[in-house]
Amino acid sequence: MQAVVEPDAHHAHGEELGFWRKYVFSVDHKVIGKQYMSLALFMALVGGLTAYLIRWQLAYPETPVPGFHWVPEPTMYEGVVPPEFYNALITMHGTVMIFFVAMPFLLGAFGNFLIPLMVGAPDMAFPRLNMMSFWTIFTASMLLLASFFVPGGAAAAGWTGYAPLSADPVFTGVNWGLNLWLLALALEFGSFLMGGVNFLTTGINMRAPGLTLTRLPLMVWMQLTAAVLFMLSIGPLIAGAVMLLFDRTIGTGFFLPERGGDALLWQHLFWFFGHPEVYVVLLPGFGMLLEIFPVFTRKPIFGYRAIIYSTIATGILSFLVWAHHMFVSGIDPRLAMPFSITTILISVPFAIMVFSMVASLWGGAITFATPMLFALGFLATFLIGGVTGIFLGSATVDIYLHGTYFVVAHFHYTLFPSVFLGGFAGMYFWYPKMFGRMLNDTLGKIHFWITVISFNCVFIPLFLCGVAGNMRRVYNPMQYDFLKHLAPLHQFATLATIVLMLGQIPFFVNFFWSMVAGERAPDNPWKANTLEWATTSPPPHGNFAQVPTVYRDPYEYSAPGAGEDWLPQYAPQPSA
Amino acid sequence: MSADKPSVSYVTIWVWLLLLVAAGVGVLGIPVSKAVAVMLIFSVATVKAVLVIRHYMHVRQQPLMVYAMLGIPLLLAIALVLVLMPDIAFRLR
Amino acid sequence: MSVMSIAEQPHAVSPEFTRQPLGKVGMWWFLASEIMVFGGLIGSYILSRIAAGGWVAERAHVNTRLAVINTLVLLTSSLTVVEAHAAVDAGEQKRTRMFLLCTVLLGCMFLGIKGFEYSGEIEHGLTPASGLFWSFYYTMTGLHGLHVLAGIVVNFCLFIAAGGRGWKTIQHRVEYAGLYWHFVDVVWIFLFPLLYLA
Repeated sequence: MQAVVEPDAHHAHGEELGFWRKYVFSVDHKVIGKQYMSLALFMALVGGLTAYLIRWQLAYPETPVPGFHWVPEPTMYEGVVPPEFYNALITMHGTVMIFFVAMPFLLGAFGNFLIPLMVGAPDMAFPRLNMMSFWTIFTASMLLLASFFVPGGAAAAGWTGYAPLSADPVFTGVNWGLNLWLLALALEFGSFLMGGVNFLTTGINMRAPGLTLTRLPLMVWMQLTAAVLFMLSIGPLIAGAVMLLFDRTIGTGFFLPERGGDALLWQHLFWFFGHPEVYVVLLPGFGMLLEIFPVFTRKPIFGYRAIIYSTIATGILSFLVWAHHMFVSGIDPRLAMPFSITTILISVPFAIMVFSMVASLWGGAITFATPMLFALGFLATFLIGGVTGIFLGSATVDIYLHGTYFVVAHFHYTLFPSVFLGGFAGMYFWYPKMFGRMLNDTLGKIHFWITVISFNCVFIPLFLCGVAGNMRRVYNPMQYDFLKHLAPLHQFATLATIVLMLGQIPFFVNFFWSMVAGERAPDNPWKANTLEWATTSPPPHGNFAQVPTVYRDPYEYSAPGAGEDWLPQYAPQPSA
Repeated sequence: MSADKPSVSYVTIWVWLLLLVAAGVGVLGIPVSKAVAVMLIFSVATVKAVLVIRHYMHVRQQPLMVYAMLGIPLLLAIALVLVLMPDIAFRLR
Repeated sequence: MSVMSIAEQPHAVSPEFTRQPLGKVGMWWFLASEIMVFGGLIGSYILSRIAAGGWVAERAHVNTRLAVINTLVLLTSSLTVVEAHAAVDAGEQKRTRMFLLCTVLLGCMFLGIKGFEYSGEIEHGLTPASGLFWSFYYTMTGLHGLHVLAGIVVNFCLFIAAGGRGWKTIQHRVEYAGLYWHFVDVVWIFLFPLLYLA
C-alpha cells in the first residue's frame, strides 16, 4: 500500500521555509534526528581518536604516536602521551562515547526519527522543545571539546569522576577542564530530560487509532522504557553534579572528608544513575534488533509479551543493582550480598529476552542483508558481554576482577554491540527511510566483517589481561614486572584497534556517497509491517497524508491465509 | 482541563495551610522527646503537601498514571536514602 | 489548517489515546524527574546530617522567623496561582491576570526575603564554605530559589501574554505553570522543617 504524498518543505500555513528554519533550526523531528546522528557520528570520531591514543600508549609505552607529533606541550611531548594526558584521554573517551555518542545515536537520532513515525503521529508532542534539546546537547558538546584546550587540559578523573580526586582541582591539576566537563554533562542531562518528556508524551498520547500498547513495535517500547529509566535515575546525579561543582569552585565540602564530607556519597549518587544508564543505552539497541529480525526472517518475534514484561522487569531491577560497581570501594560489607543477589537476578529477564531473540530466528527464512548481519553480530557479541557480567556481579569474584581489564572488556562487549553493531544495524535498515536512498550492501558487508572481527580481536585479549591482574586506568602497565608478559596481547589489541578504525571508512564512504548517488528507495524496500513504512522515503513534513489506522500486531509475517509473507499494521484487509 | 467547582474552596485550604504552619512551629514549644517532635513536624509537613497536591494540583482529576508518576520517584528516592543509611549515615568514623 | 500547535490539540492523533492534553502529560513527566533531583539532594542532606550528629549548633544560626514568613508567602502564592487557573476556566481575563501578577509578586517577595536572609548570614561569615551544614543549606535553598525564579519568569510571561491576543492560546499553560509552581511549593514545605525546624 503506497501513501500518495509528495515530499513537502512547506510549513503548515503554506509558506516556504528558509534554509535556516528548514535545515538548522528545524522543529521537524526527522531533521532533528539527523542532527543528533551527525553529532553522534562526529563525536564517535573524537572518541575513536582518544581510543587510538590510549591503545598506542598501552602497546608501545612512551613512544610517539604516529600522526600526533604536532600536538603541543604540555599535552603531548613530540607525540608521546604523558601520564596526565593519558588520564584525560581515558576520561574523555568514556564521557564522549557514552554521553555524546551512544545516547545521541541510539536515542536522539533513532528515537526522535522513529517514534512519531512508528506511532503514526505527525511529529513529536513538543517540536520546539525537541529543537531546544538538540541545541542544548550541541552546546554541551562544544563545551566538552573546548575543555581540551583550556589550561590544565581536559577532565582527568575518569568518566565516573570519583571524589575526592575530582572534588578539588589540586588533586588532578585540572581546573577548568573538569568544571567544563561538569557543565557539559549538566547540559547533556537537561537535553535528554527534554527529550525524555517528548518521547514519553508522544509515545503514550499520540498513537494512531487502533495502536494499543500491545500492538506497539518493540523499538518504541524500548525507547519509552529507556526514557523512563533515564528520567528516574538522573535526578540524584544532577544533584551530585551540582554538589561536585560547588566543591570544586565555592568551597563546599560535600565529597571532601577534610571538609566534613563523604567521598563515597558521590559514588552512590553516580552509580544510582550509572547503572540504569547502561540499560538506557542497551534497550534501544535491542529495539533495533527486534525490529530487524522479523523482517529478515519473515516470521513474527517470538514472545512479544514476554519481551515486554522482561524489559519492564529489567528496568525495575536496574535501580536495585548499582552498588555492584562499588563492591571494593569501602561500602558496608552487609550491602554486598543483597546487591550481588539483585545483580544475578537481573540476568533472568535478560536471558528471557535473549532466548526470545534466538527463538525468533528459529525456522525463519533468513536473508543475510547488512542490517541482519549487524543484528546477528550484536546478539552473538553481546552474549559474551552478558555472560562475563555474571562473574563481576558476584561480590567475591569481583574482589579480584574489579578495576582490571576484565571489567573494561566486559563493558565494551555490552556497550559496543549495542551502540555500534545495533546502531549500524538500525542505520542500514532505516537509511532508506531517512534519506530516500539505499546504502550499498556490498560495502555494508565489508564494513560488518571488518568491524565485528577486529572488535573481537581488540577485546578478547583484554579479558586475558584482566584475569592476569592488569589494572585499568594505569598509564603504563609494563612498568610492573608481573604484567610484562602481557605486552604482546596489548600490541595485538592495538593493531586490531587500528584495523577497527580503518574499517569504518567503507561506512563513511557508503553513507555520503549513497546520499547523492545511491539507488532511490521505495516506500517499503524491506517489505516491513510497521507504520514508518506506510509513508514515503523520506517522509514529508507531517509524516502521513492522513492519520493511519492500525489493524493488527506489528510482526504479522508469513501469517497463514495472507497472500504475501507480510501483512502491514496499516493495511485494512489481508491482501488477496 | 477544567477544574470542577472545588468542593472545598481554595481559600479554605489556604487557611488550613497557614494553621498547619503555625502548628509545625508550635511543636517546638511542646515538651516532647526529639524523636517525637521530629515525627510531628514531618507529619504536619506531609499533611500540608497532601493538601496542596490534592486540592491545588487536582490530582484526583488527573489520569491514574499520574499517581504512578508521583509515587514511583518518591518511593525510589526514599529507597535510595534507606539503602544508603548503613553506608553514609551510620558509617564508623 | 489550524493555528494551534500540536501541543494545543488534545486529540491531535487519536481520541482513543489522548484523553489528556499533551502539555499536561509532559509537565507531569517533568515533575516526576524533578522529584528525583530534589530527592537526591534532600536525601544526601538527611544522610550527611545523621552522620554528622545533627548539626544542632550550626542550625541555631538560621533565621527561622524569616523562613516562617517565606513559607506563608509561598503558600499564599499557591493560592493565587490556583485561583488564576480557576479564573481561566471561568473565562475571566482580568481576574486571571490579576492572580498571575499576585503570584509573580509573591514569588519575588520570597526571593527578596531569601536574599535578605543570605546577606545576614554572609555578614556573620557563614558562607557555603563554612562547613557541611552551610554547604547543604545554600545548595538546597539556592537550587529551590532558582526554581522559584524560573517559575516567576514563566508566570510573568503568561501574565503578559494573557493581556493581548495571546489570551486564547495560553489558557492551558496557566494550569501547567500552576502545577510546576505547586511542586516548587511542596519542595519548600519539606525544606522548611528540614533546615529550620527539626
